[in-house]
Amino acid sequence: MTPHPDGPELDSPGDKSSLPGSPGGPPGSPGELLRSPVLQTVSRAAVPVTIIVSLIIFNQGHNLPGGGFIGGVLAAAAGAMHLMAFGVEGAARWNWWKLSVLGLLISIMTGTVPFLLGEAFMNHTELHPHLPLIGSFHVPTAAFYDAGVYLIVVGMLMTIFVELGLENRE
Amino acid sequence: MMLSPTASLPTLVFIPFVGAFLALCMGRIAGHKTGYLMVLSALASFILAAMLYAGLDPAAPVVCAAEWLPGVDVNFRLRGDGFGLFFALLVSGIGTLVGIYSLSYVHLSDNRRVARYYAALIAFMGAMLGLALADDLVLLFVFWEITSITSFLLIGFWYDQEIGRKGALMALQVTVGGGLAMMAGFVVIGAITGSYSISELAADPSLREKLVAAGMLTPALLLCLGGALTKSAQMPFHFWLPKAMVAPTPVSTYLHAATMVMAGVFLVGRLLPILGDSPAWTPILTTVGLVTFFLGAYQSLREFDLKAILAYATVSTLGLLMMLYGLKAADQDVLQIWSHGAYKGTLFLVAGIVEHATHTRDLRKLGGLRKVMPITFGVCLLGAISMSGLPPFFGFLAKEAFYAQLLHGEVLHGQPVLQWTIIVLSVLANAFIFAVACKLVFGVFFGPPAEDVDAVDHHAHEAGIGLWGPAAVLGLVALGMGLAYPITSQMVNGMSSDPHAHVHVSLIPHDIGPVAMSAVTVLLGIGIYLMRRPINRLQDALAIIPPMYKFWDWLMAGITAVSVTFSRQWQNGSLRWYFSGVLLFACVLVTAALNRADFLRHDIIVKPHDLYWPAVAISGMLIFAALILVRAQVRLTAALASTAIGFLVALLFVIYRSPDILLTQLLIETVSTIFILLVLFFMPRFSRDVVAPPVRLVRLIVSILVGFTMATMVFLCTLPELRTEDNLGLGYLERSLSEGFGRNAVNVIIVDMRAIDTTGEITVLVVVGMAVFGLLRTRRHKA
Repeated sequence: MTPHPDGPELDSPGDKSSLPGSPGGPPGSPGELLRSPVLQTVSRAAVPVTIIVSLIIFNQGHNLPGGGFIGGVLAAAAGAMHLMAFGVEGAARWNWWKLSVLGLLISIMTGTVPFLLGEAFMNHTELHPHLPLIGSFHVPTAAFYDAGVYLIVVGMLMTIFVELGLENRE
Repeated sequence: MMLSPTASLPTLVFIPFVGAFLALCMGRIAGHKTGYLMVLSALASFILAAMLYAGLDPAAPVVCAAEWLPGVDVNFRLRGDGFGLFFALLVSGIGTLVGIYSLSYVHLSDNRRVARYYAALIAFMGAMLGLALADDLVLLFVFWEITSITSFLLIGFWYDQEIGRKGALMALQVTVGGGLAMMAGFVVIGAITGSYSISELAADPSLREKLVAAGMLTPALLLCLGGALTKSAQMPFHFWLPKAMVAPTPVSTYLHAATMVMAGVFLVGRLLPILGDSPAWTPILTTVGLVTFFLGAYQSLREFDLKAILAYATVSTLGLLMMLYGLKAADQDVLQIWSHGAYKGTLFLVAGIVEHATHTRDLRKLGGLRKVMPITFGVCLLGAISMSGLPPFFGFLAKEAFYAQLLHGEVLHGQPVLQWTIIVLSVLANAFIFAVACKLVFGVFFGPPAEDVDAVDHHAHEAGIGLWGPAAVLGLVALGMGLAYPITSQMVNGMSSDPHAHVHVSLIPHDIGPVAMSAVTVLLGIGIYLMRRPINRLQDALAIIPPMYKFWDWLMAGITAVSVTFSRQWQNGSLRWYFSGVLLFACVLVTAALNRADFLRHDIIVKPHDLYWPAVAISGMLIFAALILVRAQVRLTAALASTAIGFLVALLFVIYRSPDILLTQLLIETVSTIFILLVLFFMPRFSRDVVAPPVRLVRLIVSILVGFTMATMVFLCTLPELRTEDNLGLGYLERSLSEGFGRNAVNVIIVDMRAIDTTGEITVLVVVGMAVFGLLRTRRHKA
């Protein structure tokens, strides 16, 4: 299993074109890595499905395996698939880290509201809102906190993917 | 006014903070007019303090208390007793005058800088008022540190010049360093006695007995003095004060002559009833005070910069006050502080006027200004005569009382050698101060006008009333308080920190001793002034020891050098080094915990049929993948091997039915693999490093140790003995639904029970994301 010591030095900076799975990319442009029509077609369908699954996993997190962190990682994995299929240029127009700052604000504010109401900081409770058509349901306030975690993870991972992808492109 | 006394206490403290906030907001538009905010807030505080003083009942001062940290008995407690109100009046009164003076003095085109100047000055005033009236040690500490920080900002007003930055930094380092020691002292007092209230500590002897019983009276005193002696610029910490004279003159007048440097003296006055029984009290304070008193005056005569002269003279008076407290003569503290504030404030403001008019503060370049600036000359005379201690000025009353204390004080009674040493040095120091006063008046206003400085010829002019007015008010206070000595006597005794103060203050001598000492002082002072040139040469010859600030610079350079060396060695950039440290530390923790839980002490027998064979098979594959990882010749192989390890671990979670962790593990492994592939290009060439056999051996030992400890921990932690009733995990499982409203205990722990921990972690995530963005974007923009 150990590769031959005299095997090609795939990981040296000069050998970018010979990376596995870069059939379509012009030589010397690792940003074109893995950009194939097959992958593009698959990811068109797979990315939305994965994001929906990530939302389901996030939503069920309070009672079943899942939660904001895992949901966020899954959504970011879907984002990574999109980046690999279509390149980073489209995603690079966004400042993804701002999404994680927004998430942090949501999380901290969820904890601050009970504090302002005289409870302990980060003391969660359960809400019972009544909405027309949908009816009444239970929402633990921890879910808002978890939503913040979801956004933070997506924002942070996408920032790193996009930035490293841009590095590779140049 | 409709404010009740209880409400006006916090109001007078918070008015300046509101003013400072407004100054910051409006300064950009208002420009120099921001100074009116300073005048207004100072005047408002002064009026409130004066009203409180008028209605003061010495037996029951006004108290305003609110809970702050009730668990440790720390409260927001303000108390308007005589001594505190005296300080509040001093701070707000001089603050009003300095505000008026600043209106004419501070001229800058940059409105934002003017705004910052006034904001810092007003906030400083608020902090000083709070410090004066605080009746809680922690509250006092908070205000104390605000004065240090605002002082730093004000000294660093000329932050575009290196000397300004250095002076500000030095003042901050010295005073904040001392402040830390003081905080430790406060905590000692509070932790042992259970009370942080200053008035309670002073009134209740049983609390002090607790300190004595714990043997912490003297340690607490030493720690608290660390703050007081640095703040009040006592030897050997005095050096920051002359360096702080780079600040604009109103700042020097206000902070570094009249109020902030008095904070240390004030604190000692507050501590005397609490810690005064310590045997170290009198020796330390008397020695430090006397040395500072004498050397400050001595050094003052050597200087040529007007503000440096005044700074050393201030150091000298601060030493005198410390010595008085050391001799437990607290009854005349207000007398000394007040008379000093009046004349020193006058002289500093005059120095500012002179610099404003001539663009120099160097005595060797000044001279003959009497005719050009007659009003300033008159004002300066008021201050200088009071400083030299001649009748009928306030300074005379203060000096007479001081001499009477030295002659008849109880502490010195029966120790003639000590008493006469102190008397001789004090007379000598006062003679130096007398000579310095002469040097100021004659050097600036008499003699030939300095020809070589064209500034003196062309620009010297009388200042406007905005500049000499405030100085004149202070000078007239110095004169008036002397003339109206019966009122003075009543006031200084009523406001002293000693409730039984009964100092005799009079212009008409009734005791020959102090008068004789004053006469000797004046004669000696005239002698020193006439002989100043030979004395200066003698002083230069005697100055063998480098100035104190050099020692401080060396200390700072030493600390920097040590920390740089340490960082280079410890944070050497080798990931292997970091991992070894972290893992070994984890091993120590694990071993200690297991050892404490008695797990290593009884035999554990493992029978083959206990083993779960699918898990053994996966573990075998894991070991194989790990071997590939460490033997890999190419980075890609290593990356794939580590991914394989991750997925095999996920497989373990499958067979042990742990879906939550399985999900996490799978997703994290996927994302990590993407990461590794993305950064693979940027890694340096993968080469096996050639290491010496001993290093290899050390690495081998570390690896085996870590592996063995972790394996033992995992093995022991899965034993059935650990599933006991008091298991932490069971508690979480029980409370998950009832308190966290969720059945997934793992998630409930993360987002609810330990949400504050999670908040820390997600904050790190956000910071990492932003750092990656910032680092890579800037790198690309540069390229």
